[in-house]
Amino acid sequence: MNPEFLIVDDEPDLCWVLENLLTSKGLACQIAQTAQAALDLMQGHRFRLAFLDVTLPDMNGLELARRLRKLDPLLRFVIISGYLSKEAAAAARACAEGPICACINKPFLHEDILGVIQHLAAGDGTRWKGVVC
Amino acid sequence: MSADRTEAMGDDSLYEMLLNAIPSSVLLVGRDLRITLANRNFLERSRRTREETLDRRLPEVFPPAILDNTEIVRRIQSVFDTNKPTTGEKINYRAPGGLMRIYYYRVLPVPHPDRVELAVLVMEDVTEWERLSEDIRRMERHLRIVVESTSEIILSADTQGRILSWNQSAEQISGYTPQEVEGKYFWEFCAAEHRADARCLCSERAAGKSPQRVEWNLVTKSGKEVPLCWICSPMMDDRGQTIGIVAVGRNLTESRKLEAQLLQAQKLAALGVMAGGIAHELRNPLAICSSAAQFLMDEEIKPEFRRECAQKVQQGMQRASGIIDHLLKFTRPAKRGDRVKLDLLAVLQETLALIADQAKIQNIEVRPQLPDAPAFVQGDAHLLQQVFMNLFLNAIHAMPNGGLLKVTVATAPPQVSVQVADTGHGIPAADLGNLFDPFSSKPNGRKSTGLGLPLCYAIVQQHAGAIEVESTPGQGSTFTVRLGLSPG
Repeated sequence: MNPEFLIVDDEPDLCWVLENLLTSKGLACQIAQTAQAALDLMQGHRFRLAFLDVTLPDMNGLELARRLRKLDPLLRFVIISGYLSKEAAAAARACAEGPICACINKPFLHEDILGVIQHLAAGDGTRWKGVVC
Repeated sequence: MSADRTEAMGDDSLYEMLLNAIPSSVLLVGRDLRITLANRNFLERSRRTREETLDRRLPEVFPPAILDNTEIVRRIQSVFDTNKPTTGEKINYRAPGGLMRIYYYRVLPVPHPDRVELAVLVMEDVTEWERLSEDIRRMERHLRIVVESTSEIILSADTQGRILSWNQSAEQISGYTPQEVEGKYFWEFCAAEHRADARCLCSERAAGKSPQRVEWNLVTKSGKEVPLCWICSPMMDDRGQTIGIVAVGRNLTESRKLEAQLLQAQKLAALGVMAGGIAHELRNPLAICSSAAQFLMDEEIKPEFRRECAQKVQQGMQRASGIIDHLLKFTRPAKRGDRVKLDLLAVLQETLALIADQAKIQNIEVRPQLPDAPAFVQGDAHLLQQVFMNLFLNAIHAMPNGGLLKVTVATAPPQVSVQVADTGHGIPAADLGNLFDPFSSKPNGRKSTGLGLPLCYAIVQQHAGAIEVESTPGQGSTFTVRLGLSPG
């Protein structure tokens, strides 16, 4: 089950939600609770998609997206936010530009998350081959 | 005058000389009211000659106005009847062409072995004395009006603290009349928790210590407590000796009401500032509950996972409910006067929990450095929480692009200090001096909740503490709150 999905959120229960949602569809994932842990994980893995919380204890989610993208230009992002903040508006703009493919507000429907994955699997090339959910 | 000369003058002329030297009017009157002697003072004042006076009856010499309006004739007669001097009486008299004068007269019997034949009528000019005592009375009336017209309680007590006087406001506010409180100890009318302080302060003031401002509740006749701000001063006599204390008490009921309203407005303003953080904090448990419910809708999940989902729902609900409890506790109107021994660290931790999410969404690292042992202070938890909430939110405002908020508590008996340091834009030196002044806040300059800092200042002052600020523009600000530690 490689490449996997990356979940970056400092809220363990939210990681639990995303992990269970993905694994129930047979999709493997790795969890990082800080931006630094996510950057560290990128050293040995190539992920298809990263779910990023907007507010992380050590870095803003959008800043983390920029850093991760430097390490892997093909990586796509879903921003998950609990608050329609300045960052969320900036995320919406970044979304239109490309690497961020969705901004999802909490609480969310599982089908919204799965819908993004299906959309990417349908449209993307090599990295998304064989992803069904 | 030499003895020789006195002898040479003879008895009669000596008596006459003495009589004429007396600065009062003296008449010798017989039973038939005939004047047998009048001294010079009388003749000058009545503007009469000796011939017009001597051997004439009183009604021929005195104007009818005096005889009709005073008891002078009756009193002279009573001296002849009883052989006893009379008590005095006042006469207002204007001699022709002169000014109105006031005389005080007395009638004395001239001692005689058988029968009183002569009475002395002595009249003293008391016009100046009367004027002086009228001035004193006027001054006293004025002072009384001042004391009675004020809306503040003014009371005086002796060096033991026993009440000597009690003005109308004191009567109105307390319901006790001056007669009811006279001689009672001042502190007997203070609320139970303030009695010991009041007693101690009374004896200090009575020992001449300089005035002091204190806040004690007064217990009224109906048992109600009225908050008052007292200024107690030593009462000095002409020689600078302390002869008691004077206490002036201002009724704080109205200002307490306004203060409570201001505090409530501040809380609502703080809530507005925290709205983002609250939304974020609530949406996490909501998202978890929602997701767990969505998993539960799938009938094919394993029993362990079903239990796990139900647990997550339950925990999420509890968490959301906890957030609401926190908010309600913060916004609940504070009851005044609840000064209790409390752990300052617990107040700080609770306040830090309230701002944690707001700090997080602004990329601010909150770094509390609190000692392990509790720091007990005497105070009102709601008010102190408001102080720290204001300082934290101001710090968060000062760091729109993220930063570090350090909250450091240091205990150094008898004091505890709380430092709230940010790495924000700082405060210009020109604004530092009047930062706590309610009329100098700049709504378009520093982002703040308006009256926050003046309110902090007032609350800290009420807790007999101090608040200071240091700031370097571009580097950040540090606010330090110092409070007295409570023993044990």
